[in-house]
Amino acid sequence: MASKTKITIDHSICSGGKKVDPRACCKCMQICEPAVFLLHQTLDAEEENPYDPQLWSITPLWLSLCTRCMKCVDVCPERAVRVSW
Amino acid sequence: MCEACLRHGTAGKWYLNAENYSNEIVEKYNLRDFLMEQYLNFEQMSVRKVGGMNAVGLGYKLQMPLIGKVVKHFAENVVHSQRPPKNPLQAEGHIGQVIPLDDGIAILETCAAEPIILKNCMCRYMSRGIKEACCINFGVMSEIVDKLPRFIPDDDKYFLTREQAIEKLAEFNKKGYIGSIWYAPYPYINNLCSCANPECAGLRPRVDFDMKSVYKSEYIIETQHDNCKGCKKCVAMCQFKAISYNITIKKAVIDRAKCFGCGVCIHACKNEALYLRPRDEVPRYKER
Ligand code: SF4
Ligand code: SF4
Ligand code: SF4
Ligand code: SF4
Repeated sequence: MASKTKITIDHSICSGGKKVDPRACCKCMQICEPAVFLLHQTLDAEEENPYDPQLWSITPLWLSLCTRCMKCVDVCPERAVRVSW
Repeated sequence: MCEACLRHGTAGKWYLNAENYSNEIVEKYNLRDFLMEQYLNFEQMSVRKVGGMNAVGLGYKLQMPLIGKVVKHFAENVVHSQRPPKNPLQAEGHIGQVIPLDDGIAILETCAAEPIILKNCMCRYMSRGIKEACCINFGVMSEIVDKLPRFIPDDDKYFLTREQAIEKLAEFNKKGYIGSIWYAPYPYINNLCSCANPECAGLRPRVDFDMKSVYKSEYIIETQHDNCKGCKKCVAMCQFKAISYNITIKKAVIDRAKCFGCGVCIHACKNEALYLRPRDEVPRYKER
């Protein structure tokens, strides 16, 4: 695995206040064997979702541990997860 | 915690020192506001940039020749900090050690400050979105968690007596959850967790990136090979993949370099083939 893995979640679909509140789904987080994802309150820096303790989103955090199994991509009902390298 | 604590704190067991649990420490270091601020936004800790850096893609940063060393040094310095903590947005002085059930019971019997509560595990929530009440808090930390609804279990009996806390800890330990105790921040001990790997944010840097975010326990597993019937029950119990089944000798074998000394495998063995011994007796694996 020479190249780095890139994982994105479309926060315009899945994030607090958008179509899906990730806390009500969490499917990608639960299927991922190495637990790559992190669920957290939104940050100041996120343009679509400025900091709000009531709003939560998911960040793919431990990218180097991803095994590229693609289960998170398949399980997402909104097709909001992308994994590439 | 530092090497000095490991050497001098109550015969190596820094966590058996009741002073580190006291409210006086909280007042002295002004930890009440600090902890409130930290736990309000706890889940953000690894994605928020501190000093221009966050943990996103940490594994890749560590692989870079020079930068990797700097990043590792910086992160270890933060968690091992013994200065009065200043920044609640980073895990300053947040360092822990794996402990077996008996030491956990000793803590709950003699050291832990009241009130004692059971709260939802933050790590399982932020890594899996699952709320499981298996984390025991003490003293001022319990008062803070009481103000943060997302950590409060649905069952409204989250204040525990010492006896109830011991029962709960034993229940989790027997399920295979790893007992661990934390300075959060140094020198205040307020968390007795029952962790899972890879969900635990404190174990992850150690297990996956070889950073000393948590110490191995004061013990290491030993086998009584003659007693082993090869039932394999212990293999699945070990969350560090330290036990495997050898098909030639038809017995369980341990990779002691991987053993954290949590002792949960012992609960699975009905044949008295596993026991913990003090880590110092095994010079090769002495390092915590
Ligand atoms: S591809 Fe597999 S390992 Fe990688 S994040 Fe998705 S589920 Fe996890
Ligand atoms: S599976 Fe898809 S919709 Fe569900 S939390 Fe993950 S990204 Fe959001
Ligand atoms: S082998 Fe070591 S790390 Fe694994 S369960 Fe037993 S004591 Fe814990
Ligand atoms: S549980 Fe005990 S008897 Fe069974 S394989 Fe493990 S050590 Fe051997």
